[in-house]
Amino acid sequence: MTLGEAVDVALTVNGSRREAQVEARRTLADFLREDLGLTGTHLGCEHGVCGACTVILDGEPVRSCLMFAVQARDATVTTIEGLAVEGVMNNLQEAMRESHGFQCGFCTPGFLMQITAMLADNPNPTEAEIRDTLSGNICRCTGYESILNGVLRAIGADVPGSHQSVP
Amino acid sequence: MEATASQPIAQRFIGESVKRSEDPRILTGAGNYVDDVQLPGMLHACFTRSPMAHARITSIDISAALEQPGVVAVFTGPQLQELVDPEAVSPGFFGPAPFKYTVLATDKVRLVGDLVAVVVADSRYRAEDAAALIEVDYEDLGPIASAEAAFDSSGTPIFEDLGSNVLTQPTKSSFGDVEAAFAAADRVVTARIRQHRHQNVPMECRGVVADFDPGTGELMVHGSNQGPGLAKMVMVAQLGLEPDKVRVVCGDIGGSFGLKIGTSREEIATALLSKHLGRPVKWIEDRNEHLMASGHAREETLDVEAAVTDQGDILGFKVKMVVDTGAYPGMGGMLGGIVQAMFPGPYSLKGFEFEFSAAVTNKASYVAYRGPWAAETFTREVTVDLIAAELGLDPLEVRRRNIAFQPADNPASMLTGRSLASCTARESLEHMTKVVDIPAFRARQAAARAEGRYLGLGLATYIEAAPGPRGGGGGLGNEAMRMALDEDGTLLVFTAQMPHGQSHETTLAQVAAEEFGVPFESVRVVAGDTDRVPFGFTGGSRSATMAGGASLHTARALRQKVLEASAHLFEADPADLEIVAGQVGVRGVPVSARPLAQVVAEIRGTDGLPEEVDTSFEVTNAYDGGEGGWSGGTHLAIVEVDVETGLVEVERYVVVEDCGKLINPAVVEGQVRGGVAQGIGAVLLERSAYDENAQFLAGTFMDYLLPTAMNVPRIEIHHLETVPLDPDVNFRGVGEGGMIIAPPTLVNAIADALSPFGVRIEEQHLPPLRILELIGALD
Repeated sequence: MTLGEAVDVALTVNGSRREAQVEARRTLADFLREDLGLTGTHLGCEHGVCGACTVILDGEPVRSCLMFAVQARDATVTTIEGLAVEGVMNNLQEAMRESHGFQCGFCTPGFLMQITAMLADNPNPTEAEIRDTLSGNICRCTGYESILNGVLRAIGADVPGSHQSVP
Repeated sequence: MEATASQPIAQRFIGESVKRSEDPRILTGAGNYVDDVQLPGMLHACFTRSPMAHARITSIDISAALEQPGVVAVFTGPQLQELVDPEAVSPGFFGPAPFKYTVLATDKVRLVGDLVAVVVADSRYRAEDAAALIEVDYEDLGPIASAEAAFDSSGTPIFEDLGSNVLTQPTKSSFGDVEAAFAAADRVVTARIRQHRHQNVPMECRGVVADFDPGTGELMVHGSNQGPGLAKMVMVAQLGLEPDKVRVVCGDIGGSFGLKIGTSREEIATALLSKHLGRPVKWIEDRNEHLMASGHAREETLDVEAAVTDQGDILGFKVKMVVDTGAYPGMGGMLGGIVQAMFPGPYSLKGFEFEFSAAVTNKASYVAYRGPWAAETFTREVTVDLIAAELGLDPLEVRRRNIAFQPADNPASMLTGRSLASCTARESLEHMTKVVDIPAFRARQAAARAEGRYLGLGLATYIEAAPGPRGGGGGLGNEAMRMALDEDGTLLVFTAQMPHGQSHETTLAQVAAEEFGVPFESVRVVAGDTDRVPFGFTGGSRSATMAGGASLHTARALRQKVLEASAHLFEADPADLEIVAGQVGVRGVPVSARPLAQVVAEIRGTDGLPEEVDTSFEVTNAYDGGEGGWSGGTHLAIVEVDVETGLVEVERYVVVEDCGKLINPAVVEGQVRGGVAQGIGAVLLERSAYDENAQFLAGTFMDYLLPTAMNVPRIEIHHLETVPLDPDVNFRGVGEGGMIIAPPTLVNAIADALSPFGVRIEEQHLPPLRILELIGALD
């Protein structure tokens, strides 16, 4: 197989069966974004560090910039577009909104997918476990505390108060 | 008046952590960033960049690239320059550049990553394939890798028409009686304070989609830009188009922090190519290009002499600042004026002398980065701690002694001119001592040291011109805004701001909704379209006051207009009418209330209204900033330095800040925390490193390290919200403060932790290796 050779790919994305012919070298991220129009997955570094492109593939969080679309053959993929149910944001999304989790929104898809995968494995993580999971994704806007709080809120844990006005 | 069940209650939104209007799309993947723009027939551009810092291009061969499948065009520098309007001058940071340059390099390259050629192909993959096949031969001209090298007149000028590598010759100003201040001093404390080169690094790199329509002759630019109007001006000039033929739109922007102001050479090239080819062309910067060539900030050296008394009075400063502005024009050359004006900060000085010079080097351009004048805050606040250390005094006491006293009726002024009205530096410092038990920390620190653990506490105080006080430094400018009440009762807010994470769709709507009298959900904020919104940009921590104020005053004017027109409908005096929760009615007569949509329709459907009744229900206003004012505060960090590994852990970080009245506390705190996180990154991790040959060494996220959730602690924030200056608008900006003050706060804390080693820290970048060097653990 050469890099530019067209190959057939069939997989399930957000519950729908998708089939396409792609170049062997096409990344999963570009396939999702450009061929399937799922632009909610973002590319922040294209070398696997920032985590913005994270999607869930067969239950595991993966960096879609580091995978070829052809490697996702027959897999089940969930992207950020697959979180809301019939246009209603899920518990994690609502908790993030409540917590003002994000600012510019560019890193957001990666965090949401990474956290979704974590909560599937461990529905009641400690704050230290959450931090450990978040540490694989980079956010440049928030300093992470609001994202951490969003996860705590999503799992029903106490969220430390932050806003303190003084006379 | 007691509210009854049937009477709508005036809704308050200002001061509430209202949930963001941006979030439903951002949290579901429905945002619209520039790379999400896909147009029919769209082509993709990829640049060939220079691997050399300073070299003459002796030959360039594009023939192999042209033959690649999918390639539509390949342009070298001279070829592309032919497409530029011959009348156009090279763009600089807000205005013309101080010297000429071309869109792509035509004869020589001036930094690693300089633009040498560009390929346009039917996919990004194929464009990259072809760009890699362009063969360029270079003749090394000898890199100018530092400001010192730039000031050495034997080096080859990087820009010929500048004639040297000095952008700004040393220029000196003085304020107060400098000689008297130094004559009265018991001693002079000296330091060479350095900020290192680091950069904005928004998670979204730069990018553009240029879409020239050969039929209409119109250029549509989809951008990622803090100032669409500024981008439009540059495009108009460079492409030689009429202003009415160019439209710039921006959707969601994935961060910027000062980087994406104006238009880059890459964006101009992309637009030139679209115009030439008559097709849409997309360029999306990759992270390597971004780190290498989007722009860097902060590489500055400040030689300081501080005239002090043995009791800790700071009488004056003499400062010589040198900035390495990199190659192509950016913000570096204009730093001197801002740093000079801000240097005294909240401190009372008797004399201040400032000298500024700027060098051109073979590195990435100096761009605005969150708090671009921060060199003065860093230098001053680190120097205050050095003074305290040298005199054996507590740094807190030195600050207490020197921060200007401000009787309520007689605000102090900075020695450089501006009034300190609304500055609460002293109050923030005192409040910090109530929040943090410093004596208890000192006891814990001593106990830890006995066990070989090194804890440190540092604090620093700052002011942020957000937007700054009226007078003493010129006006505050004007912020235009248009507001329209739609037929369906929606309040449309057309802002000149270009949000890129700041939540303006939420905060400006909060102000407008409360002032006008509609539910928050009835307000729609429109931004980022040069055809629809007033000229402006987001930057300089101005939006809270300027756009918040514009929102308040424009909503007030529109409300009055609606009430005056409604008077004819209700047969009542406008003064007796009110708009509450989206309904117009006679005050005190709940049954009279009618929804705005109905009122608009009825008024517009009424024949024979007096001529003076304006049924446009639209107002365009410009707000002058009112009384303006300062933001500011004090930050405090407690750190632990591991002297085995050199790692620094931030154990506690406390912010006492005053940005006046908070519009949305959660938004304010997000800005503060984000800024502090960038400051933590600057000190402990980030560096846009070059070697001595100006080779770039930090081209990936494995080399350029950003703070993660493991590096940034929870940040305690306390708001003062004091000193109303203006009858209506006391919201002040908060975007830059965290990034300005976190670096000196952390450096002071680390220096405190390492004081048993006799360490004196005059620099900002303190990664583990440097810590170990400083304490003598490396030989």
